[in-house]
Amino acid sequence: MTLPALRTSAGINLEDYTKAMLNILEDSSHEKERLEEMQRAVVNILEDFSGEKGRLEGTQRAALNIMEDFAAEKGRLEEVQRAMLNLLDDFGMERERTEAANRELREAIDSLRRAKEAADAANRELESFAYSVAHDLRSPLRAIGGFSQMILNKEGATFNPETRRKFGVIQENAQKMGQLIDDLLRLSRLSRMELNRSHLDMTRLVREVLKEIQVAEPERSFTIQIVDLPAIHGDAALVRQLLANLLSNAVKFTRGKEGARIEVGSVERSGEHVYYVRDNGVGFDMKYYNKLFGVFQRLVSETQFEGTGVGLAIVQRIVQRHGGRVWAEGKVQEGATFYFTIPEKERE
Amino acid sequence: MNRDKVKIVLIEDSPADVEMALDALKEYHLANQVKVITDGEEALHYIFDECAPGREECPQVILLDLKLPKVGGLEILQRIRSDERTKMIPVVVLTSSTEDKDRVQSYKLGVNSYIVKPVEFNNFAKAVSEIGFYWVLLNKPPY
Repeated sequence: MTLPALRTSAGINLEDYTKAMLNILEDSSHEKERLEEMQRAVVNILEDFSGEKGRLEGTQRAALNIMEDFAAEKGRLEEVQRAMLNLLDDFGMERERTEAANRELREAIDSLRRAKEAADAANRELESFAYSVAHDLRSPLRAIGGFSQMILNKEGATFNPETRRKFGVIQENAQKMGQLIDDLLRLSRLSRMELNRSHLDMTRLVREVLKEIQVAEPERSFTIQIVDLPAIHGDAALVRQLLANLLSNAVKFTRGKEGARIEVGSVERSGEHVYYVRDNGVGFDMKYYNKLFGVFQRLVSETQFEGTGVGLAIVQRIVQRHGGRVWAEGKVQEGATFYFTIPEKERE
Repeated sequence: MNRDKVKIVLIEDSPADVEMALDALKEYHLANQVKVITDGEEALHYIFDECAPGREECPQVILLDLKLPKVGGLEILQRIRSDERTKMIPVVVLTSSTEDKDRVQSYKLGVNSYIVKPVEFNNFAKAVSEIGFYWVLLNKPPY
């Protein structure tokens, strides 16, 4: 109240003073309203800010959440990436191993192929060798037999018996060598010729072959027993040759035996037919079994039983060509049994 | 050697086989009518220079071995058959070869007969004398 007092003492009248005061008060009241208004506005703004702040905080939280999520996702991605790298490593190693294995396989196949080519070449060479040896041997052989025969034809009448006998020995041996060559050629041809398989009645085939042998040796007597034999799927000419060799051996090696007996039959062993030809002839010593099927191998003396030592080698070759097996059992002076199998189809 | 006309040309390189064959051909008195050639190249010269049909020297049969020096029997046969002048001459292969491929190839080339030399002399002699008898005395050539 210092101001109105000052004013009063200066002589200002009360009414004016009061009016002025009221004006001032009025002004103040306006001012106050304005202030209040301003305050309200500030409060509003502040309120707005606080809402905004809440929203911002929400957004921030959301952003943080998202960032956390991203971090977790990143971790997971890194894990996946690590796993994939591991897998790739594993794949890499696996691939290397596979490649190494493949290389080894290819090398093995290559070396097998080379071995087969070498074997084929050796076989071809051997065959052509056997062929030309056989043919080149024939010519001088024919000359030996032929020239001795020409001498005999012209001058034989004047020879003494001993000279005549010696010429006979020359010719016999020339003939025998011819037989050896023929057998050798047959053996060599056996490995080359194509098999021509058909259904073969084994019982009939055995009877036919036996008949031929009996015609060739009418003086021989033996008992023969043929059990009914299952049919075979084989090359007719070769199977006939196989039977001819086994049966003529049986007939040959029972020569001079009292009660000579030959038995042809078959048994079933683990699902396959095993055919056999059995005789009670001179037999053989199992000690020499490894020589039995060898070429030019003989287990009996030639003075006792003729032969070139190729027959059983031919038997073995024929059976092998058919994909079968052949084996034998024997006992000296008690006989021999030859077994063979011929599978339905070649195992190729 | 002799003045007889050549009826048989024997192309054979083994002297022993030649001698035995000539011995066998005496059976029908043909030994003097044989021209012996022991080499494939010489055989070709002889056949194409001397023995085209119409000439004096044209034989009634050529006996041909397959294994010969220089030019083999199959090639000689092929040359004979592919030449107009000589393709009708009867050719008999007389060989040691029992190989299917030699036999089949000979027939493909047009051989008239294929005889495997018998190993045993008596059979060989018989075969050769029969061949001579058949081709020279029985058979009529185309020219």
